[in-house]
Amino acid sequence: MKKLLLPVGGAVLLCSGPFSMGQKGPAAANADIYKSVVRIECATQSADYRTPWNSGRFGGGTGSGFMIGPNQFMTNAHVVSNANRVLITRRGSAQKHPARVIHIAHDCDLALLEVEDETPFEGLTYLEFGEVPALESQVRAIGYPVGGDRISVTRGVVSRIDFRPYAHSIVDSHLVVQIDAAINPGNSGGPVLQDGKVVGVAFQGLRQADNTGYMIPTPVIKRFLKDIGDGSYDKYVDLGITEFALFNPAMRKALQVPENGLGVMVASVLPTGPCDGIMEPGDVLLSIDGKPVDNAGNIEVEGEKVVLHEVVERKFAGDEVALEFLRKGEKKNVTITLKAFPHSRIYAVRYGERPRFVFFAGLVFQPLDRNLYSTYGFDSPRVRKIFQNYVEDAIFKEREDVVVITRVESDRLTSFITGFKGTVVDEINGEKVRDLNHAYELLYADNLPEFITIKCNGLARPIVIPAAEVDSANKRIMKQNGIFRSHYLGEKQPAS
Amino acid sequence: MSCNYLPFLALLLSIGGAICLSNPAHAAAESEGLLRINTTIQTHNVAQPWELNQPSRRRGLGAVLKGGNILTTGEMAANATYIEFESADGAHTVPAEVIAIDYEANLALLKPEAGADGEWIKTLGTLPTGGSAKPGEEVDIWQLEDNGDAIRTAGSIRSVDLLSTFASGHFFLCYEVKASMQSASSSYTLPVTRDGKLIGILASYNSKDQICDVVSPDILNQFLKDVRDGTHEGFPSLGIATVLTEDPQFRKWLGLREDQGGIYVSRVLPGSGAAESGLQEGDVILTLDGHGIDRRGYYQDASYGRLSWSHLVRGSKQVGEKLALVIMRDGKEKNLEATLRRPPDSLIPSHMYDKSPPYLIKGGLVFQELTRSYLEAFGKEWRSRAPLDLLDALNNPEDYEEGRSRLVFLSRVIRTPATIGYDQVNNRIVTEANGQKITDMKSLVSALQNPKDGVHSIRIDDVPYVIYLDPKASDSVDKALLQRGLPALERLP
Repeated sequence: MKKLLLPVGGAVLLCSGPFSMGQKGPAAANADIYKSVVRIECATQSADYRTPWNSGRFGGGTGSGFMIGPNQFMTNAHVVSNANRVLITRRGSAQKHPARVIHIAHDCDLALLEVEDETPFEGLTYLEFGEVPALESQVRAIGYPVGGDRISVTRGVVSRIDFRPYAHSIVDSHLVVQIDAAINPGNSGGPVLQDGKVVGVAFQGLRQADNTGYMIPTPVIKRFLKDIGDGSYDKYVDLGITEFALFNPAMRKALQVPENGLGVMVASVLPTGPCDGIMEPGDVLLSIDGKPVDNAGNIEVEGEKVVLHEVVERKFAGDEVALEFLRKGEKKNVTITLKAFPHSRIYAVRYGERPRFVFFAGLVFQPLDRNLYSTYGFDSPRVRKIFQNYVEDAIFKEREDVVVITRVESDRLTSFITGFKGTVVDEINGEKVRDLNHAYELLYADNLPEFITIKCNGLARPIVIPAAEVDSANKRIMKQNGIFRSHYLGEKQPAS
Repeated sequence: MSCNYLPFLALLLSIGGAICLSNPAHAAAESEGLLRINTTIQTHNVAQPWELNQPSRRRGLGAVLKGGNILTTGEMAANATYIEFESADGAHTVPAEVIAIDYEANLALLKPEAGADGEWIKTLGTLPTGGSAKPGEEVDIWQLEDNGDAIRTAGSIRSVDLLSTFASGHFFLCYEVKASMQSASSSYTLPVTRDGKLIGILASYNSKDQICDVVSPDILNQFLKDVRDGTHEGFPSLGIATVLTEDPQFRKWLGLREDQGGIYVSRVLPGSGAAESGLQEGDVILTLDGHGIDRRGYYQDASYGRLSWSHLVRGSKQVGEKLALVIMRDGKEKNLEATLRRPPDSLIPSHMYDKSPPYLIKGGLVFQELTRSYLEAFGKEWRSRAPLDLLDALNNPEDYEEGRSRLVFLSRVIRTPATIGYDQVNNRIVTEANGQKITDMKSLVSALQNPKDGVHSIRIDDVPYVIYLDPKASDSVDKALLQRGLPALERLP
């Protein structure tokens, strides 16, 4: 799961998309394609994790999209994330048509929209999807990037096909195709075409490099469309193992791996993941779904070397994967069933959610996740370590939420509560805190002890609040600081 | 605005006048008991502990004490590969050696090297040591010009406080002296006198605020008392961590009355004087040797006023002396007596002055014992930049003890034929090697004598969790490393 923590070096999301056309395409087909590429305007409301009781920041942006079916518009998730209002405009039209998000997949940065009134869009061509374009083949990107109001077309070649992080959620990596056609802000969500067919959705670029645009290729798009086929998006599934390349001869010998270039060591197995209890660290994975795994952890798919996780990329929860592995020299064959692993989403950026919090006697409690982490940039090594090991050390088994004290509001009750900001709450009144709801229940219980004690990880003394002072302090401090609600616990759900 | 300048000008003039009046005589007589100390400092390379860094030089002053020994700061002599005394006029030099050095209090006592001719030092005269001074009192800070003349700068004691002037985390009584110093050739460490008596050693000078931190006579005299019997034991410690009791809610919970002070004991180090006395976590210390401790940890000192309780232990006693405590436990007062000891050896030493860091190289894997200095080498932002697991160990050593006396870690991997595939592995805590628990460098060295089933296996705390080394390949790499200029494959403490 280390891969979940990889930061995306300088990748930028591009709200706007390019378009290009196969050389053979007749002019009429081009005109039809242009018509089906729309401009998307999105007004957003983004949560403010520093003042979780507030409404957050209002903003907005524009991107591109394209019609793929009757009243179905595809775009990037990041174009319509945190949306309050979505408007779609046809090429050359002055009308803005209200639209809504039907499906949004933050882990692969894709979304599907529909307009409230589809009549203005009747008769438009539905763009079809092609395959992964060949290296060096020509593509064009179409969309509404910055630099003008009208549709833009740029042309380039496929420069690279790779497995890369998707900047939108930070933690997810999937297949990407790099193209050298100019892709600029506003291009996001627009189609990239070859021979009149969509071969990708433009979605991100690299800030520090020239002519490196990235598009989401059709295997990822097709998986998304298949996933939502049952009416809901269920997200990607994961094997739940990390590998360590078997480059070292002594390591291969110790693990009794034949010297044929095959086999990668399993370095860790995620607790409660699909391989938990089946594989162990030190096992050597030999093949996955019959495809031999090499010493670096790669397999061959359609003539290209890709990481072994690519097998799982195209599967869904409930699907099976056949694994062949070596344990102490003995070959084993197992079939595992993939399942959702919501806890790893603690590392993914969340969108469209109201931040959960509990306010109590001048203290603000919030659950630790990527959004909170990037907001506060916690410097305590303890908090950083708990965050980093949340999944790998199965911390989630004991605490579904890692509850952090993020604020200590000024008041006579809190004058001497120093050094507690940015620390993890272990216990309240002697009970281990399981999640934010539990913290709320313990703090706002009917029969409180004379003193409420809050024990924080790594701190010598507890916070002590006399129960008799809680009500008046809550009223006073909330009024002073404009905190108009004491908590928001969300709908009780493990993760989004 | 302009009227504000007038009194200030007048003040400056009056100081100048005072100097002239009180010192009508020559400068030469004033250099009584002063000599230069030149040292060459060499520290070990953190990344390649078998190497020394480039040497650097330091020049400072020492005070000649009665009996001919020289007092200076610990910082002057720490990590010194060569120490030399030089007369003010540069006419005489003699190699010197350390009698005793205290990194915590930042003091060192030196003497001419045995057999070397230091007779000339006897002609310099001596500086008698003085007693406590008070805030507001005037003191003299001494420097030497290149030509040998002494420069005297008058300053006044602004305040007294417990400061850490050298080894981090050790706080001792210091004077903060306001004085406008000039840069002179030997400015590293400077004697401070009052009425011709040595009352302190200047440890640092902040030119922006014009404030000098001066090690106080109390600490200086405790240090000299300690070494008088020929052995230097160091300053004692009670061995506790404490939390203040300012928070009224916390006080109510502890059952402390408003007229009581008290500090909350948050940790008692095993093997310390406090542990031996029966002091427990959660106790509240009310008095030490009869001095009431207030809620912020201060007591009323006869000479200095409000001072931190720590001075009653670290600055007022010798190892082996007793300390009387009155504590509050479960709402009841209780009397305890603690015998003060040196602080127990910690899992992660705070410093390694004058010690060569232990290391082991095996096939290109470099192992070290974790010290605070290792982490500090990650730069100014080391508290956020240093490897997370190692930082956590520094902050919470009790979670990593598990029978260890030192925390051994794989600091880096030199790329060799034996370490193919391990290039990216670094700063990982070592738990086991060849099936044996690793508790210090020695245990690792002995564990790696015996590969099991024809392979070395070293267990670490993160991916890939086990590192395998081929004994033959690593032995030949080791041999090659020695041939290529590595001085030794291991250094044990």
